[in-house]
Amino acid sequence: MTHRRALLAVLALALVVVAAGCGAASTTTSSAGSATSASSTSSASHILRIPYLADMSVPDPDIFYDIEGNSVILSAYEGLLKYAPNSDKIVGDLATSWSESPDRLTYTFHLRPNVHFHDGSLFTAQSVIASFKRRLNVNQAPAYMVKPIASMTTPNPLTLVVKLKEPVDPFLDYLASSWGPKMIGPEALVTHAGNNFAQTWLQTHDDGTGPYELTEFARGRQYVLARFEGWWGAKPYFEKVLIKITPDIDTQQLELENGSVDAIMHSFPAANLSSLPSSVKVLKYPSYLRLLLYVNTHKPPFNNPAVRATLRAAIDPAKLVAEAYSGTGTNSKGPFPEELLSNQPTLPYAPNPTVAAEGVKKASTKSIVLGFTADESGIQRRVGEILQAALEAAGWQVTVKEVQLPQVYDYINDLSAAPDLLLQTNTPDAANADTWSRILFFKEGGLNFLGFNNARVNSLLEKSRSASPAESEKLEREVGQEVVNENGIFFLGNIDNVFVLNKELEGVEQIPAYPWTVNYASLKRG
Amino acid sequence: MAGLIARRCVALVAVLFGLALIVFVLQAVVPENPARAMVGASAPPQVVAQKARELGYDQPLPVRFVDYMERVLSGNLQTSLRTREPVLSNLETFAPATLELALAAAVIAAAIGVSLGLLLAAGGRLARVLRTVLIGGASVPTFLSALLLILLFYSTLHLLPASGRVSDTLVVPTGPTKVLLLDAVLHGEPNVVWSVLTHLLMPAFTLALIPALAIARVLASSCEGVMREDYVRTARTKGLRERTVILRHVLRNACGPALTMSGLQFGLLLGGIVVVEQIFAWPGLGRYLDQSIAYADFPAITGTTLILGTAYVIVNFLVDLAQAWADPRIRTV
Repeated sequence: MTHRRALLAVLALALVVVAAGCGAASTTTSSAGSATSASSTSSASHILRIPYLADMSVPDPDIFYDIEGNSVILSAYEGLLKYAPNSDKIVGDLATSWSESPDRLTYTFHLRPNVHFHDGSLFTAQSVIASFKRRLNVNQAPAYMVKPIASMTTPNPLTLVVKLKEPVDPFLDYLASSWGPKMIGPEALVTHAGNNFAQTWLQTHDDGTGPYELTEFARGRQYVLARFEGWWGAKPYFEKVLIKITPDIDTQQLELENGSVDAIMHSFPAANLSSLPSSVKVLKYPSYLRLLLYVNTHKPPFNNPAVRATLRAAIDPAKLVAEAYSGTGTNSKGPFPEELLSNQPTLPYAPNPTVAAEGVKKASTKSIVLGFTADESGIQRRVGEILQAALEAAGWQVTVKEVQLPQVYDYINDLSAAPDLLLQTNTPDAANADTWSRILFFKEGGLNFLGFNNARVNSLLEKSRSASPAESEKLEREVGQEVVNENGIFFLGNIDNVFVLNKELEGVEQIPAYPWTVNYASLKRG
Repeated sequence: MAGLIARRCVALVAVLFGLALIVFVLQAVVPENPARAMVGASAPPQVVAQKARELGYDQPLPVRFVDYMERVLSGNLQTSLRTREPVLSNLETFAPATLELALAAAVIAAAIGVSLGLLLAAGGRLARVLRTVLIGGASVPTFLSALLLILLFYSTLHLLPASGRVSDTLVVPTGPTKVLLLDAVLHGEPNVVWSVLTHLLMPAFTLALIPALAIARVLASSCEGVMREDYVRTARTKGLRERTVILRHVLRNACGPALTMSGLQFGLLLGGIVVVEQIFAWPGLGRYLDQSIAYADFPAITGTTLILGTAYVIVNFLVDLAQAWADPRIRTV
């Protein structure tokens, strides 16, 4: 009898919970900060829901150097400069105008008045100095963008004068880069400094000047951006942006089709684009993302330049990109993203089975390994398989191998253990040719995974950084020609930014240099 | 019983030490550079080298191992290379979600397993049909059953949410246990309780499916054997009701192999958690581990492995105790 009573009590409790859950209104009083439950007061139509495939590393603009998470940084923080929507034209952001001295060593920035940080403090030239100094002190990968600075002065609160140690051609592009220096409230930096320049505090908070504040950073679950009512720009339509971590692209697609999320910003399987319901739309924009095939020139068979040269005849980039990317990419025309450098050297890739087969005969071994880094959409695997088929048709025996990105970073330490060929997609740090060639072609470049090393290229790159813009472009063209001639890196495809959105979303603004990112502040429901 | 507990505790320590050693050796021999992963793709070599020095990766292996074990024993599992937060703090964030999912899955697996097992043991046409279903069900991979459930209950019937742990518009209780369902009950939040239950159902069921079927088959086979024993026949001839015979005499004597199977299945369940958390966007250790692997975040991988290994050993320890309770002969082994 006692057991029955207990069972009945449990059932009754369950019924109460179910009834309460079913009847619960979607809005109740908010009491964030306490250990109680409450619902959002924002109406559902003013909440933008975006899925991420993975957590971003940290929402700290002086550390963040990935792609997933760019939209959080760019919503919460602003820099002095940025790129205009859908272009690579540098425009003012927190600087309204700027000038460059004839010797290209001094830059004067006139700052936007009446800009406030999210903690309410006023943005001034001193804020810029504090932010730049913090980036140097934190000294993570993006710090290289402010390292050329020799000194900074503030003639008045809204003017900043920056002197460089030597001319740096891409300096303004550094400032406009999505990974470029962003303004962080100096008071918050002091208050939360701790022993690591506020790195701990900025792992879960922000104090930028952007249109949205980071109000929740629940790692692994979701990030919440709330509209900053004190923003200097036009009031954004969405009161909140909920970024939910949903690691499975199929789940994301189902949620988009059912209206649980508003947009998928990257890695949507290209093959599924043609079978979407009418409630969603697809927007494609050119980006700087490039599909590359690295060649290991440090071991047989591709340490033989004659064998490498025949790879030009074994691959057909146009066919490969068309098959793998289903209309979301085009074959590359030059060694740089086309928008970064005019009159680039052309790519002499022409399929020719006879020439391709001759290369295999010259090779000391026919057995080669092709590595690729898997992505959620499965496209890299598909590219690998298509390449495998093309190379095997020429007579190579190809083993396709999936590798993890951290492994790829480490190949440089033992190139004899690295694969013979490596497929990767990469993007430059900014819309400047130097930010591509320096990381990819320079002997110590961060994305120079298989140790491409050409003395002339290294020398040209040393000169180009401090050369005049015209001279720099000329040198970059020479660099490009050397790289193409060397056949150490093959430039296969230009990958589009593909956004799959709820049909009612309007006002999409994107920037080719900011991959996978749209401006949340410009979006609205139609 | 005290002797059994003491022996198992010693074994627990030995297993954890072995686990720590294996994980450390693995992280030392794999050809990946955690410092590079931490500073980013385009970072110049000087920045990478400086970070490697800061992290102690330039030290000899024995020095690193001693240093590592000292830190582990003092509760310091290092800082995650990806999140830049202490691994222990990350585990505190992610482990409750996994615990909640694993417990729910274990309850569902036990409920389905025992019910199905008894039905199978009872024999008849239904049992034959069930046996066929079991064989078919056990051959469906976890990711496929997850996707099928999402297609049915989310896309088609619109009954259950496809992802997450709770509705994203709810502000959820932040303690005291961090097991959301429990916290929501303790805080008297029916909205949250309902939301958590609806989010929990599909991933827990997916995770429970294969263990439940394994338990059912072992229990059924064991029950069939026990039901042929003399003491069961005696109980029936005494006029005891069939339910009493099954629950008091058959089940207790037949549960030993099923308990052993439950312990083993828990290990498989932990393995399946990575896939299930990925598909259902469940913010638990499986997802934390998956993202850490992609980043070569060895402190996080090591910490997660240790905690999952500890959970596995503890569960099997509890299974041993349950078996000893069910079969007193085991206590003396």
